[in-house]
Amino acid sequence: MVKTLLSLKGVSKKFGDIQALKPIDLDINSGEIVGLVGSNGAGKTTLLRLMAGVYNPTAGSVQLSNGQPVSSMRHELGVVPESTGLYSRLTAWENIRYHSRMHGVLDATSWARTEKFADHLDMKDHLGRHTKGFSRGMKQKTALLRALAHGPSILLLDEPTAGLDITSARTVRALVRQLRDEGGTVIYSTHHLSEAEQVCDRIVIIHNGELRADGSPSKLLESTTTHSLEDAYVSLTQDQARTRKEDEDRESTFSKWWRSLFTPRIPSSILGGEESE
Amino acid sequence: MSSKGKSARVRAIAKKEIVEFSRDWRTILAIIVIPLLMFPLLFIIFPLLLESEAAELDAMELNAVIQSNSLPVNLAENLSMNGIDFVVEPLPEVEQLSIAGDDLERVRNNSIDGIVRIERVEDHWKYAILHLSTSERSNELRNRVLAVLNEWEVHEVETLIEEGGLEVNSTLNPLRWDGDIAQGDVATSGEQAGMVLSLFIPLVLAIWTYSSAIQPSIDMTAGERERGTLEALLCLPCTRMELLFGKWLAVAAITGVGVLLQICGLLFAIGYLASSSVIGLPQLSILSIGLIVISIMLFAVMVVAFELALAMRSHSVKEAGSILAPALMLILFPALFTQVINLDGIEGFWFAIPVVNVLLALRELLMNRIITEHVIIWFVSSMVYAGLAAYYASKQFNREDIVTSLS
Repeated sequence: MVKTLLSLKGVSKKFGDIQALKPIDLDINSGEIVGLVGSNGAGKTTLLRLMAGVYNPTAGSVQLSNGQPVSSMRHELGVVPESTGLYSRLTAWENIRYHSRMHGVLDATSWARTEKFADHLDMKDHLGRHTKGFSRGMKQKTALLRALAHGPSILLLDEPTAGLDITSARTVRALVRQLRDEGGTVIYSTHHLSEAEQVCDRIVIIHNGELRADGSPSKLLESTTTHSLEDAYVSLTQDQARTRKEDEDRESTFSKWWRSLFTPRIPSSILGGEESE
Repeated sequence: MSSKGKSARVRAIAKKEIVEFSRDWRTILAIIVIPLLMFPLLFIIFPLLLESEAAELDAMELNAVIQSNSLPVNLAENLSMNGIDFVVEPLPEVEQLSIAGDDLERVRNNSIDGIVRIERVEDHWKYAILHLSTSERSNELRNRVLAVLNEWEVHEVETLIEEGGLEVNSTLNPLRWDGDIAQGDVATSGEQAGMVLSLFIPLVLAIWTYSSAIQPSIDMTAGERERGTLEALLCLPCTRMELLFGKWLAVAAITGVGVLLQICGLLFAIGYLASSSVIGLPQLSILSIGLIVISIMLFAVMVVAFELALAMRSHSVKEAGSILAPALMLILFPALFTQVINLDGIEGFWFAIPVVNVLLALRELLMNRIITEHVIIWFVSSMVYAGLAAYYASKQFNREDIVTSLS
């Protein structure tokens, strides 16, 4: 029997005048890998942050199955944000230990879990190194180890294979599937359809802040009467993707005006016009 | 969440911040080494440098022209004995001795260090010194000539008094202090030390508390935001108030060490320069010491919370720096202003003005003055300001847009 872990009911999010996410209903079930697929700026990260309790919804609610708010189960969450969020002057293990301590987990427990997963990810020899010199891939793996060290039941992964080489990305995907097999729930944000197809049991397509589709890969193909997920995605997201202008809109009018004051216009000669003498 | 769990998380945050911060050698230089060495360098090395420069000037042989038609022999001897090599010329025809006339160029082009004109007029002497104030040699010549003339004048006065049949000492000093001047001050050496220290310790404390908190405040807020570490932190099972409190503890600890070291450096420098009888330990009661600690803590709560809030409001390290650095004026001006306020009979309202209240309290307490009315006013007002600053900081930490960039 499917058990719902997390329920999003009519959840929407606005930042000022920007509707980042239109009302969404979504249930996350225990023991599944849910892929959030969408282009840049579609609203995937906003949705993940709502699930992690970093943002409060403008309308609707994000609740656990028992009706409790999501903030009450943060100790059950393991999060890998898009930016990895590692402290460069701490070693990989210190980064992991810091988060585990915040979860109230003993160092010995988190070390045992870290050691186990570090073996999978080929990171064991790097745990004592400062993360400053790490490649993007190593940072990504460290962030993943950090998210796993306290034994979460739900993993929120924002582009977890971004920057990883082919072998490492494959290892991460295998690890995610292994976690699911062990009873874990994973919410996996990506803009690579092929990756979602390989890893996820269920795919949620988000476009321009709207939930356009939700179902297993085969169900998506069926509902769109297409033969590939790529075709299905294209048919569901035919309208032009919005540009990423939320940060800019948060800037004050004065700041924008001031910046424009010191921004020269592109000379007409470059744009193909006649240069005036 | 249990209070034990909360305090463990706050400690974990503070510890991590301090460890991470101390791993940057530039930080250690800025927070530990510079404050420790600043005053010793300023008060010990700088005077030594001045002393060596003064000795160099003293050793100089200066070239002067003395213009006089009747130069007294003893004056000429004194000038020679003071390292002034001179030639005597007749006085030029000028309306007043201080008008350079044809001698202007000689002094301006440094061919000589100066011209001394001296003329006997009936029962007195007139003189002028032509010098170039932008030349160190010329200034030195002027100083030496003035000293010699002063000594010669004293000698002349005494001679005249004696020639008039009067006793020199009773004529020149009809009113004399009896005994040791220092004995007339009934303040104890401890109180005097407190008075001296109260003139600069509050100022140092205020400015350094603010300035040494700038870097850690920015690093732990706007820095985290810019580096993308804040989002991961906000996903952890800690409240934003715990986050604020942990960061506040870390900034306060770093700032506290910086301020303490700077005061140590300052006291060491003063102790080195002055005799121990002048700068002793201030005579403070236990209550005064306790109140000093409380006032500093309240000030630190306010300043650090205020800086954390401003830094958290900023979208980047650059923006935070451009807000926090000029905001130092909010501390600097009241701190300078407070130094000149007369504490005797001071009105109570001064102890309710932000920043001024704590600095005045420190001045009073360093002089071991505990005036209950003042203590109540500065304590209550400081609590209110510290509370407001903490509330403002909590508002900033609870803002949703502290995690930006959507996708």
